[in-house]
Amino acid sequence: MSSLEARSPESDAITVQDLTKTFKVPEREAGFGAALRSFVRRKYTPIQAVQQVSFHIGKGEIVGFLGPNGAGKTTTLKMLSGLLHPTSGQARVLGFTPWELKNDYLRAMTLVMGQRNRLSWDIPAADSFLLNQAIYRISDQDFKASLKELDELLELSPIMRKPVRNLSLGERMKCELAAGLLHRPKVLFLDEPTIGLDITAQARIREFLREYNRRTGASILLTSHYMADVTALCERIIIIHHGRLKYDGGISELSHRIAPYKLIGVALGEVRECDLSCYGTLVNAENGDGKQYIQVEVDEVTTITAQILKDLPVHDLTIEDPPIEHVIEQAFEE
Amino acid sequence: MHALKLIQTFLKVNLQIALAYRVDTLVNILINLMWLGVELIGLQIIFSNTDRLAGWGPGELVSLLGVFRLVNMLMASVIWPATEKFNTSVRDGTLDYTLIQPANSLFLVSFSRIIVWRVWDLALAIGLVVVGMRMSARDLASLTGEVASITSLASLAGFLVLVASGALVLYSLWVVLIALTFWFVKFDNNVTILQALLDSGRYPATVYPPWLRIIITYLVPIALATTIPMQGLRGDLSALQVFVFMGVGLASFLVALRVWKAGVRQYSGASS
Amino acid sequence: MLRIYYRFWQVNWYEQWQYRANLLMYLAYWLVSPVVYLAVWTTIARSQGSVGGLTANDFVTYYLTLLIADTLTSDITVHLLAYKIQDGTLSSELLRPVHPILTNTLVNNIAFKALVFMVLVPIWLVLVLLFQPDYSMVTIQSILPAVPALMLGFGINFLLGATLTCLAFWTTRVYSITEFYFALAILFSGQFVPLQLMPPLIQRLAAYLPFQFYIYFPVSLILGRVPPETIAWKFALGLAWLAVAYALFRLIWREGLKRFSSVGA
Repeated sequence: MSSLEARSPESDAITVQDLTKTFKVPEREAGFGAALRSFVRRKYTPIQAVQQVSFHIGKGEIVGFLGPNGAGKTTTLKMLSGLLHPTSGQARVLGFTPWELKNDYLRAMTLVMGQRNRLSWDIPAADSFLLNQAIYRISDQDFKASLKELDELLELSPIMRKPVRNLSLGERMKCELAAGLLHRPKVLFLDEPTIGLDITAQARIREFLREYNRRTGASILLTSHYMADVTALCERIIIIHHGRLKYDGGISELSHRIAPYKLIGVALGEVRECDLSCYGTLVNAENGDGKQYIQVEVDEVTTITAQILKDLPVHDLTIEDPPIEHVIEQAFEE
Repeated sequence: MHALKLIQTFLKVNLQIALAYRVDTLVNILINLMWLGVELIGLQIIFSNTDRLAGWGPGELVSLLGVFRLVNMLMASVIWPATEKFNTSVRDGTLDYTLIQPANSLFLVSFSRIIVWRVWDLALAIGLVVVGMRMSARDLASLTGEVASITSLASLAGFLVLVASGALVLYSLWVVLIALTFWFVKFDNNVTILQALLDSGRYPATVYPPWLRIIITYLVPIALATTIPMQGLRGDLSALQVFVFMGVGLASFLVALRVWKAGVRQYSGASS
Repeated sequence: MLRIYYRFWQVNWYEQWQYRANLLMYLAYWLVSPVVYLAVWTTIARSQGSVGGLTANDFVTYYLTLLIADTLTSDITVHLLAYKIQDGTLSSELLRPVHPILTNTLVNNIAFKALVFMVLVPIWLVLVLLFQPDYSMVTIQSILPAVPALMLGFGINFLLGATLTCLAFWTTRVYSITEFYFALAILFSGQFVPLQLMPPLIQRLAAYLPFQFYIYFPVSLILGRVPPETIAWKFALGLAWLAVAYALFRLIWREGLKRFSSVGA
């Protein structure tokens, strides 16, 4: 794996050195006897969520943090935002040690988790913003300026005054982001900010983050399941798998790394069963959409697609990127 | 001070929520009044059957009811909603957001959800205390033939100090109870014991059999917040005793702060 | 039909068993009031010998018996049903070919009672040791009529509770309404103090209201304090209330269902 050359610490917003986190999870077998035994003597299995991860992120960089579920992304993010103490290793963000939870640090960074809402459900987002203003001690002047800018970039005016309960998922996410950025943090930790959103909403959020980064020079560390998030925003990605850093480098290099292929999904009309293996490697995808999937090299996609359309009574045909989990599994299976 | 500004903001936000549910708020006030009626009927029944209850007269019991309602109101408007919110936030992980906000986490957990309509209960409680004191003064006057003042300034001061330290003790107990969730995650019913025993504060602790009296004075110190301040108001306590109770209040608060800090450290895996 | 009830029993019992930790806490909560009232009235009785003809021991036996009676006649339908109406979960139960309230909710109530009773017995014995009541007035003859009386009390409480809970079909404030109902029960059922000590007006009203069957009537039967000539009349009144409650329930249920299916969940 390529690691970036030595960098001067002043230009770094985030420095991580051999960060490790091991969880002790109590073992629990089924059955009454086991429950009784566990009461007396607990057996723990150590889970190594993050193992000796090191990287640097410079000021103003947007870095994608990728990996399949359970890879250690969220744990790393929690350590960098100060929520978790590591088992060993160090990290410094903006010159602070995150888990000391110093107020000055907390005012300089933000954590937004796509699956967990911080906004109060019953009141309009605008009131939650006021609450944040008080908590983050933002002056009225700065608050007004921040809000104006966020409103501009996210079109908050129509949705700010509605109770959060009544907003759509996309609108809610916009407000969540706004709430997290009112205090103009210099480091943003975003955990799956676009999850569950429709394509348009996802695009809006990406545009917003790009523009925000341009205007404020904030560093952004963003985790995602969606390759599209990453390709749109990040020049650099870090891949973590089984708690270990697998890749840290540019996107273009990665796509050379990965076997460059696409998935063609074919739904046939009357003839249900047809052997597509002559066109490409059959892939077992349980999408439940009635399509059969074959894997095809990128350069051959056009020719093979044309061939399929010519030969078979095609009902529906799609050309998709392989899911990110697949890519990582394939490329880094060791 | 910044903390005051935060509380101000919390009150504003929660007022908004209450206004958004106007009719609910009205209904809640009506039900509250109904319960007051039931409590007063209860007192009336007691005193139609006897002159004094464990050495306490009707006026004093009315005042005690006022103190009880005050404590109850603080519990219902601040503590119970905060408990609900806290338990939910531990379960669904939104506690994380609270912990990384640049303000004291205990402060945020305690005051973010204030049930605003209960504030009027405060006025009611004070009213009851005053009415009760007047009743006692009248009784005393009719017995001794002289007009006694409602109470001395020293007793009043002692009373206020004791109410504050009693409330502080209960608050500290609550903090410790909810902090237990950091160690025992599935401890949803953490504060039920507090809620349950709170009802005993309606009557003076001397009414109860010794074993119950010990529980509500030392273990779950409801009596510290209700009976003891009333004793102060009656002039039963010496200045030394008042100071001791004040000390107990402060000490328990310090203990609670420590437990909370330890809990947060446990939550973030500091020791492991 | 019996098999259906048995199946419901199995499911509900298992469900209640899962929540047994909550139960201990609920019990602590519920026990405090009667113990508090017990303490208050025995203190008064001891200081002046007796209150309204009742000695300290009369109060002790009253409240301890009240604990048992309350467990057996209490109704928790509002906590079981209101949310199902409000969030629409009731729909799935309506599709079954049995009446959801008269089967599932009823059995759920009973399973809860059984569980509470199991936990209550040891605690009750401890309280008996602490308060040392003199139960010499209790005989088989006094307990026997109390059994149908308790069933009657539960029947009325359940049906009235279910009727009130059905108001959730029309309003979101059903919990406030049931709170009002509970307050009335405290006054008129004898939960606060034996009805004979209540002001005359309340006593006169209570004699005709259904609440007495939850606490005062069965407890008085057990303690042998009901004059034999009134027993029959009381039972008749109770059965009349049962019929009224049943009719009310069926009416509200029918109307409620109409509304439920017309406005959706």
